[in-house]
Amino acid sequence: MQSKTSFFNKGLYKKNISRTWIAGLLYFIILLLLMPVSYIISIADWDNTYFSDVGITKGMCLFMHMSDMPTAGLAVCIAIVLSAITFWYLFYKRDTYMMHAFPISRKSAYFTGIASILTVAIIPVVAVSIIMSIIALTVDTIAMGGIWYWALIVIVSTVLFLSIAMFALMVSGQLITGIAFYFIFVMLYFLMELAFRITSAMLLFGMGASLQSQNVRIFSPLQYIPGNCKVDYIACYTGNGYLKSLIMKLEGAEYLAIYFVAALILLTVSFLLYKYKKLETVHDFIAVPFMKPVFTIGMAFFISMVAGAFVSGMYDATGNHTYSSKFAVAIVSSLIIGVLIFFATQMMIEKTIRVFNAKKAIYCAGYSVVALAVLLCLRFDAFKVENKVPNASDVAWVGIEANYTMVFTSEDEINTAISLHKNFLTDKKELRDVNVKYEHVNGSYFTIKYKLKNGDSIIRQYQVVDTESPDVSPEYVAATQPILDFLNNPTIIKEHVIGNIWDDCSVTDMYFSTVTYDDNRNEFNYYTEYFMSLSEYEKMKKFEKVYQALLKDIDEGKVFQTTFAGYTSEREDQSLYNDFGFNVVNEEVPYFSDVDTYYDEQYDPRNTYEGEGDMHEQSIYCSLNTECKHTLKALKDAEFYYTDDQVITWEKYNKMMGYEYEEDPETYE
Amino acid sequence: MIQVNNVTKKFGDFTALDGLDMHVERGAIYGLVGPNGAGKSTIIRHLCGVYKQDAGDILIEGQPVFENELLKQKMAIIPDDIFFFLQANTKDMMKFYKNMYPKFDEKLFFKIAECFPEINMKKMVRSLSKGMQKQVAFMLAIASRPEVMILDEPVDGLDPVMRRQVWSLIMSDVAETGVTVLVSSHNLRELEDVCDHVGIMNHGKLLIERSLDELQTSITKIQIAFEGEMPEMPEEIQVLKKISNGRVHTLIVKGEPRAAEQRIAALNPLLMDVLPLTLEEIFIYELGGEDYAVKDIIF
Repeated sequence: MQSKTSFFNKGLYKKNISRTWIAGLLYFIILLLLMPVSYIISIADWDNTYFSDVGITKGMCLFMHMSDMPTAGLAVCIAIVLSAITFWYLFYKRDTYMMHAFPISRKSAYFTGIASILTVAIIPVVAVSIIMSIIALTVDTIAMGGIWYWALIVIVSTVLFLSIAMFALMVSGQLITGIAFYFIFVMLYFLMELAFRITSAMLLFGMGASLQSQNVRIFSPLQYIPGNCKVDYIACYTGNGYLKSLIMKLEGAEYLAIYFVAALILLTVSFLLYKYKKLETVHDFIAVPFMKPVFTIGMAFFISMVAGAFVSGMYDATGNHTYSSKFAVAIVSSLIIGVLIFFATQMMIEKTIRVFNAKKAIYCAGYSVVALAVLLCLRFDAFKVENKVPNASDVAWVGIEANYTMVFTSEDEINTAISLHKNFLTDKKELRDVNVKYEHVNGSYFTIKYKLKNGDSIIRQYQVVDTESPDVSPEYVAATQPILDFLNNPTIIKEHVIGNIWDDCSVTDMYFSTVTYDDNRNEFNYYTEYFMSLSEYEKMKKFEKVYQALLKDIDEGKVFQTTFAGYTSEREDQSLYNDFGFNVVNEEVPYFSDVDTYYDEQYDPRNTYEGEGDMHEQSIYCSLNTECKHTLKALKDAEFYYTDDQVITWEKYNKMMGYEYEEDPETYE
Repeated sequence: MIQVNNVTKKFGDFTALDGLDMHVERGAIYGLVGPNGAGKSTIIRHLCGVYKQDAGDILIEGQPVFENELLKQKMAIIPDDIFFFLQANTKDMMKFYKNMYPKFDEKLFFKIAECFPEINMKKMVRSLSKGMQKQVAFMLAIASRPEVMILDEPVDGLDPVMRRQVWSLIMSDVAETGVTVLVSSHNLRELEDVCDHVGIMNHGKLLIERSLDELQTSITKIQIAFEGEMPEMPEEIQVLKKISNGRVHTLIVKGEPRAAEQRIAALNPLLMDVLPLTLEEIFIYELGGEDYAVKDIIF
């Protein structure tokens, strides 16, 4: 009868510890330097510190210090270092044969190994937390929760990354490959998504900006844990910079619980892999039979897909090509590269170059057919990537960026933007090959960004051409003009270019630079009138008149107009070289910044200052043109300039300066 | 004691063990010989519980060896390529063995160590010479007080004096404790001196498994000379090989030697000598006619 075996072997445990304690000591020293030492240094001259000046206590400072401490980044390193040292014997024939000849079962070797790794990885964390707790007891105990929550995050992260490390090390018979697999598995979801996004950015209609909207998911723990499981705080300061309140937060306990359960499952799977591992697979690239096809197909598919997209990108760089021809190049190159990688991985797995046989050829053909099917699905948008438009109920706001950046938050505006986007996508054939069909028509890009209520973003970017060109088809105009009509609606312009306070604001500042040519000195004289002799009231009266004139020009569609033409030299005879801008202020109503919202830069979530959260003032730059009759007249009446020769177009400026190639007025907008 | 019944092991398409049967009695010193690639190391790794067979049974004391901690506590292994922990000195290894093997005899360990005075107990084992590492392995194995010792090329790398010393240690341990020893070696002359049973392997199968005495009496070398031409040998005499040098003929005869001697004597030879064969010669004459890579096992 076979004997029963235990989970733990004391002799092996001691031996493991004797081999890994040095790594644990180094880890402890690093933690010591990062935590107590750096904290003590930061408070050493307390009365002269920033914290002391703004009214932050040592206890609060300790909590803030804990919120800056690394978590998953530490765990991901220590887990693989200790796992590789402890299970080193699995990768060398002599070592593995002897270790398994000793009276130790695999169950005992595995769980003893795990126990010793956790001992060496966790003791430094607990020791440093105890030291920090002692410090907290001497200054203020409010940071105690933060200290031990940090320890919990690091411990759970260590268990999680240890489970991934064990899985990776059990999958391969080579240590270096096992370590490489570890980092691949840690980043697997992120890398797979990245591969799809790179491919779609190069090949799919409207996906040019897809890399900008990659979101971190729970499947990418290395990025997700620091962002969602953390010791955090919100510090509110008074307007003059003194701390008013500090809200301390311990976030993400539910995710830690999920990760802990996932780690236990993965540790169990890894144990089963070890239990049934054939030790003759030492030195094999992949030691687990079922992983061989997974690895082969995964490598061949993802690498060839991205490489095919790059080949297509290179082909595209040689000239204007249709969407279909680019995709054909991508498919053919993907399939060829896929076959090469398929056999290359076979060579790695079987450790021989003699892998070309009928059986492998059939497998490769099967893989190629499936890869072709997936690529064709991408081409015909079977996964609904190109046509994806979110439901209005899921959308927090919609941003459209063309000549100006506008963000729409109201239900009506969101619905309108969505319907415009859907209308735009109804005739993709007409739109996706504009670079070939309308090669000589001026064009640009416009971007639609959906910010979803769950925090994700969907970004689509389209190449478009001038709808006023006589060369473009009525179908093209029908698809694109509604978007321009929407963006050029005077109410939309006033609301989203000037801002939500456009009709209830004071204009506190305004400038208009004049440009005259000095024939004697043969150069331009630049001048801006600041009305230094006038009172603030008198100045604001002048500004208000000009502002009202500008609103009239907006109503007449003369300024802040969006076109899809991009920069064209034809507009030079109208665009003014003179700079014009103004400040709008409403002390009662917060200013909503479309640009800041679009780029997610509204505020620093950790440190807020009284009044800072509510912005009440905004500077607006306006690119005037000769058609802005009301504004120009008002500026002249208000004595911003006196003679018409002080107003100069880009065309005139460039001619006078003798520039062969004109400066681009768009760059100043 | 050790029973290997119809064991098969494949590595991919290659069959390393092909229905192997092997039986080692308690207290025996069993020599396992065979050319390179015969499957010796493979069956030894099965016996150590490193590999798991695809088919068949491997039993020691009636118990399967794979993943059997208690059984392995009664076994000591010395592989051809010995493993010691990195940074570990002889004393560290002794402590590890002491934790692994409940019967480990520390006093015996230090007593044996006296036989190997050149070994520095505080020096890292991996920095010792190959021969010294083997000596340390023997010290540890014998001090573990095993009931079964499995040795793969145990004295390979040792000088002749040290070989003799190591073998005498093993023999005294056998005499004292009745330990069963399975030893794999290419060195047939050495095995002949120490083994009482021999198994000859090739292509993953055991071709012959007998006691050495039985093996040595089953094949005889007879040197004969006749006045004229050598007469036809009787049909009952199975001649494996005949070498003639002038009037003197050397016959390798299979079967009972006394019966062969009587039959040949009836032919009135001028001269007749019956000589025993060495294990090496038995191996060559028994298998030389077959398609085996016998050259590999002759030193």
